[in-house]
Amino acid sequence: MRPLPRLLLLTVLVVAVPADAKTTVIDDSGTLPYDAPLVLHWQQLSPRRPVNNRMTGTLTVRVKLHVAPWLRRPGRIYLALPAQQPGAMSASWSTQGRLLPGRVSSGSRSLVYSGLITTPFIEDVLQLTLEVDGTQLRQLYHVNFRFEMDEE
Amino acid sequence: MSPLRRDTYQRPGGAALHNASRLARLVLCAALLASVSDTVSAFTVTIAAAAPKTVYLQVGVGGFTGYYNAGGTPGNNATVNKNSVTVAAAAVGNGTPQAMTTDSTVGASSYDGFAFCNVPAQLYIGGFYRTTLPGGGSVNVTATVPAALVDAGGDTLSFARISWTTGGNGPTGSTPTQPFPAGTFTAGAVQTVGAIAQNQWAESCWTFSYNNTTLPAAGTYTGRVLYTLTAP
Repeated sequence: MRPLPRLLLLTVLVVAVPADAKTTVIDDSGTLPYDAPLVLHWQQLSPRRPVNNRMTGTLTVRVKLHVAPWLRRPGRIYLALPAQQPGAMSASWSTQGRLLPGRVSSGSRSLVYSGLITTPFIEDVLQLTLEVDGTQLRQLYHVNFRFEMDEE
Repeated sequence: MSPLRRDTYQRPGGAALHNASRLARLVLCAALLASVSDTVSAFTVTIAAAAPKTVYLQVGVGGFTGYYNAGGTPGNNATVNKNSVTVAAAAVGNGTPQAMTTDSTVGASSYDGFAFCNVPAQLYIGGFYRTTLPGGGSVNVTATVPAALVDAGGDTLSFARISWTTGGNGPTGSTPTQPFPAGTFTAGAVQTVGAIAQNQWAESCWTFSYNNTTLPAAGTYTGRVLYTLTAP
């Protein structure tokens, strides 16, 4: 019986490391639409040389970030596009001013807000454009984004 | 916490073990809560390709607006061009091939506007095949060839008497392997006359000739060949 609590403690300490990290995924469950369809079109209908096989599509997203846990504290918010199927992608977006416009490639993130968190929610409307290598598209893909908070 | 509950947690091993165990539980709870907040993940979009395949084929006059290498837009054009030759009475059947000319005015490549073909001696053929499929696949262009050209009196001339050479101006025109190579019509058949590699523009200039080895009845012989680009 005695080794068990120590083992638990060690395990828990290892697991708990991310909780101590300063980056936290923000609850954006109020963002709409959820799992919206984004129809992609050839960026160049005619594939001139060098061949551009990128496909692109744009979607309006009403972002609602629950940032109450960081109220009255400074923070930096990033929009992250994790590496995922169907492979290399990039996303760019414009905003209505609450968040910063930007661009992100899969596997990276881009700053969309920096400063004091003054309201429980941060809302904005994004015109999100996604670019994907058309030769990688085999089926429908669910592309996941996430907003991350870096506490200062 | 009630005394009863506190008693329940009494275990042999002393206060240190008790505290460690409680700490473990607390930290475990914190860790679980942290992982829950991580799963409040962000928005998702479902992507799918619209019209992932596009084909364009132009034989003679086409419907391309702008140029291919500048993001031009393919379109439809109902024009049917004619290639023809008038054989002088004294030359009929003398075995000397008779060069045919086209009524197409298209000499410029729809790829970049380059004067690729020489009209009216050459007929422009070009197109592309757009697909999301990976790799180096290609699609074929076929010609549906009637058995014969026919005149008003019902006299016939086999389509097999018409051949063509291929080429074009500039470095790509002199390339030995043209996407649309030289050939001869196969009368009454569907034959492959070229291939287009996926996601690339392909073009050639054809020079047709009538082989002039027979003595047909005098007349105007006509026939129509249908060119088709088929993608899977």
